[in-house]
Amino acid sequence: MFGSKSGKKVGLKIIIVGCGKVGVAILKQLANEGHDITIIDKDPQKVATYSNQYDVMGIVGNGANHSVQLDAGIQNADLIAAVTSSDELNILCCTIAKQVGDCATIARLRDPDYSKEASYLREKLGLTMIINPELETAIEVSRVLYLPTALEINSFAHGQAEMTRIKIPEKNVLDNKSIADLGKDLASRQKPINILIAAVERNGEFYIPSGDFVLKAGDIMSCVGTRPMSRKFMEHIGFKTARVKDTMIIGGGNVAYYLAGQLINMGISVKIIEENKKRCEELSVLLPKAIIINGDGTDQEILNEEGLAETESFVSLTGIDEENILLTLHARKHSNAKTITKINRSNFREVINSLDLGSVVYPCSITAESIVAYVRAKKNSNSNNIETLYHMFDSRAEAIEFRVDEKSDVTDIPLKDLNLKKNMLIAFINRNGSILLPTGQDTIQVGDTAMIVTTETGFTDIRDILA
Amino acid sequence: MNNSMIIYILGHVIRLEGLLMVIPCITSLIYQEHEGFAFLVVILACMLIGTLMSLKKPVNQTIYLKEGCIATAFSWVLLSIFGCMPFVISGEIPSFTNALFETVSGLTTTGASILSDVEVMSHGMMLWRCFTHWIGGMGVLVFLLAIIPMNSASGSNMNLMKAESPGPSVGKLVPRLKHTARILYAIYFGMTLLEVIFLLFGHMSLFDSLCTAFGTAGTGGFGIKNDSFTSFSPYIQWVVTVFMIMFGVNFNFYYFLLFRNIRKALSMEEVRAYFLIILASIGIIFVSLMNTMSNIWDALRHASFQVASIITTTGYASADFDQWSQISRTVLVILMFIGACAGSTGGGMKVSRLIIMFKTVVKELGSYFHPKNIKKINMDGKPVEHEVVRAVNVYFITLMTVFTISVLLVSVEGRDLVTNFTAVAACLNNIGPGLSQVGPTQNYGSLTGFSKYVLMFDMLAGRLELFPLLLIFNPCVYRDMIMGVVRRIRRGGDMRRAS
Repeated sequence: MFGSKSGKKVGLKIIIVGCGKVGVAILKQLANEGHDITIIDKDPQKVATYSNQYDVMGIVGNGANHSVQLDAGIQNADLIAAVTSSDELNILCCTIAKQVGDCATIARLRDPDYSKEASYLREKLGLTMIINPELETAIEVSRVLYLPTALEINSFAHGQAEMTRIKIPEKNVLDNKSIADLGKDLASRQKPINILIAAVERNGEFYIPSGDFVLKAGDIMSCVGTRPMSRKFMEHIGFKTARVKDTMIIGGGNVAYYLAGQLINMGISVKIIEENKKRCEELSVLLPKAIIINGDGTDQEILNEEGLAETESFVSLTGIDEENILLTLHARKHSNAKTITKINRSNFREVINSLDLGSVVYPCSITAESIVAYVRAKKNSNSNNIETLYHMFDSRAEAIEFRVDEKSDVTDIPLKDLNLKKNMLIAFINRNGSILLPTGQDTIQVGDTAMIVTTETGFTDIRDILA
Repeated sequence: MNNSMIIYILGHVIRLEGLLMVIPCITSLIYQEHEGFAFLVVILACMLIGTLMSLKKPVNQTIYLKEGCIATAFSWVLLSIFGCMPFVISGEIPSFTNALFETVSGLTTTGASILSDVEVMSHGMMLWRCFTHWIGGMGVLVFLLAIIPMNSASGSNMNLMKAESPGPSVGKLVPRLKHTARILYAIYFGMTLLEVIFLLFGHMSLFDSLCTAFGTAGTGGFGIKNDSFTSFSPYIQWVVTVFMIMFGVNFNFYYFLLFRNIRKALSMEEVRAYFLIILASIGIIFVSLMNTMSNIWDALRHASFQVASIITTTGYASADFDQWSQISRTVLVILMFIGACAGSTGGGMKVSRLIIMFKTVVKELGSYFHPKNIKKINMDGKPVEHEVVRAVNVYFITLMTVFTISVLLVSVEGRDLVTNFTAVAACLNNIGPGLSQVGPTQNYGSLTGFSKYVLMFDMLAGRLELFPLLLIFNPCVYRDMIMGVVRRIRRGGDMRRAS
């Protein structure tokens, strides 16, 4: 597959420092896309394991060490991603790398003290990107809490468009309805609803549905539209669209802190249950409006006392995945709350998907997604033509938003006349801030951004849609 | 056990052998020899069987270390069996055992021959015989990795490379395995070409140059003359000496030399030790030869040629070293066991293992003075992991065990100890000629079939560094394989019943 492509598309030389969960998530994704990757970690065991498991080179040593970086080939590297558990080390890695090579640098910064100054640091230290997985996770959680009937909401086109993932319940109007009929229903309303069903997951399979596809109860479907349209659509199919009024957060880590801050700003009342007394005191200073409970979140009595049965939403954010899963299952049994579970590890996804957990967020995937989006764009043109990238359905499908910067084979030709790939869909075209759900007559024009949903992963440019 | 993936790999290997046989087939065509038909038959057979075996690409392409080792071991056995067919079919080596011995000896770059008169061979057969050295030198699976897009993302192919490449710890030069394999073959090919050019300058014919270069590059040692290199000009002997030494160097050295930094290349401990051993051995033999030879340059040339030939486990001979003094012969036998550098085309125990073992002994001695002293062994300025040290020690013990048992088995035939000892040493370390009755002017033809099979096993074991080959004697392997098949049949039955 690599041989047939032109010489332009050779892989990038990428160095990943730190083989933690995030490092491995990035590694897994990028190794599949044919880049030359070198991993650096202090632990020889980890380096040996991952350099065997994936086709990458491993170097044992301190990633911020200049000679170790030279060993890893920093002079010719295109990108270094420092994702160790230490913020200071990550910054140092990138700063040192910057001295030798002309490579892009990505650092993971988790400490709120630093991430407050992320843009300052980025500018002064010449970093390409600063990633804060906890903050990103918190943003994703707050988005779901804003529309709690959705499983997941991803925003595109700077928030103009949203992709909403919902599960069709039993006896819903959508059950046994074909996409074409649904389209007629929506168009025949007094105020037509303009929305597109981009993908359907059913029994472990992923479909990009055509008009005669019939929806069934139990399907998980992703629909794309502007934010107001999405709301109207949800109302149409009988989903509640009111945001939650209160939330209960178990575990008072960084994610909880960021999340609480955002929710309080949105006017949602927040209750955090945290075991560590000292951390509780810190949080109470940082978040004066939140209710901080010092207690063991896994204690049923405390959950009951704090009103688990009445809470509208329940977010489990402890550091232990198993605990989070159990807490969520417990909460779903004893309340009607919207539940969100944070899961750090990226394995056992199949089992986790089969559990009735409601929404699940994976911080390491969120980080990996933004790095992968950057790498894809860089691989292609060295200019950032990918606006956003989300993995769907266990990374087997992708939603990508491309910016169309120049004239090419895809621009100014009606979509029906283009020889498009199968298993792919153009979900919307964003022209000057207005969202267009394309029909066969529409064209892609220079200056647009276009969102593609595809099961063929690895698109790097809008031209990849052509067969 | 991933049976389907093993079969898939084996299929590719067989097909590749068929493709490689096209070269001697064309040679036969050029010289208008009817042996070409033998090649044609085998090529068609290889293509057919190979294509059938690799027809279905397995869904699960993950292979673990065990599958890597087993695929490698079976690959080499099958390569040898298919590779010997042209000799049998054409009737040049009518006995299957002899033909197999010759092919195993070729592929494992041993160079032990059963032929008493090689000069009567047809050109096509001669080229194939020498070409097997070149194929076996760098490894077939490494070649496969370089050209065939087997799931490039996962690193499980590393397990194939590990099983086939010599040395205590196999590393990569560049992040991707495919590129590493390509770089290795590019260096290999380039150096072979260079040698051919140098040999052509010495007024050697193109055909002879190619055969000689293949033999040198793979550190094999099949001669194209009955007296090996005795009758060639001093210039050619010097060229071959230099290239033998060069092919015995760790190929990482050349990579560093070409692409990275020269300082790193020159500071490789293994390469330094390798040259040190060569210089010391040449010195000893040179002094010893000075007593019998009148010409200093002749003595130096023969000493260098022989040391280079034995330490790189090539096995060419510029003189009948069996007639040399005891000290010279002893030095050569010791060199047999040392072998070339890890990551080269040579065999033997490898210099890097020797260094690690030597350092372990020094450390052990030190521990008598400071029993509580904690010290790690260093190599190239980096600490050697305990796992590597352990593997080296186990390797040495296993080598000695295999060696002892082989000597015992071969001695049933009732030859003298020197013959048996050096025959096994020469085969296990992939050298070729030993001393006494298997000396440089003799051949292995007079051995019985049983001894030949023992030696064939030794050659394969030596080339694959023991464990991949020993693994196929582990009953667990077959139990796993059979259970895999049984499970699949049963599952198939269940599915049919369910539907």
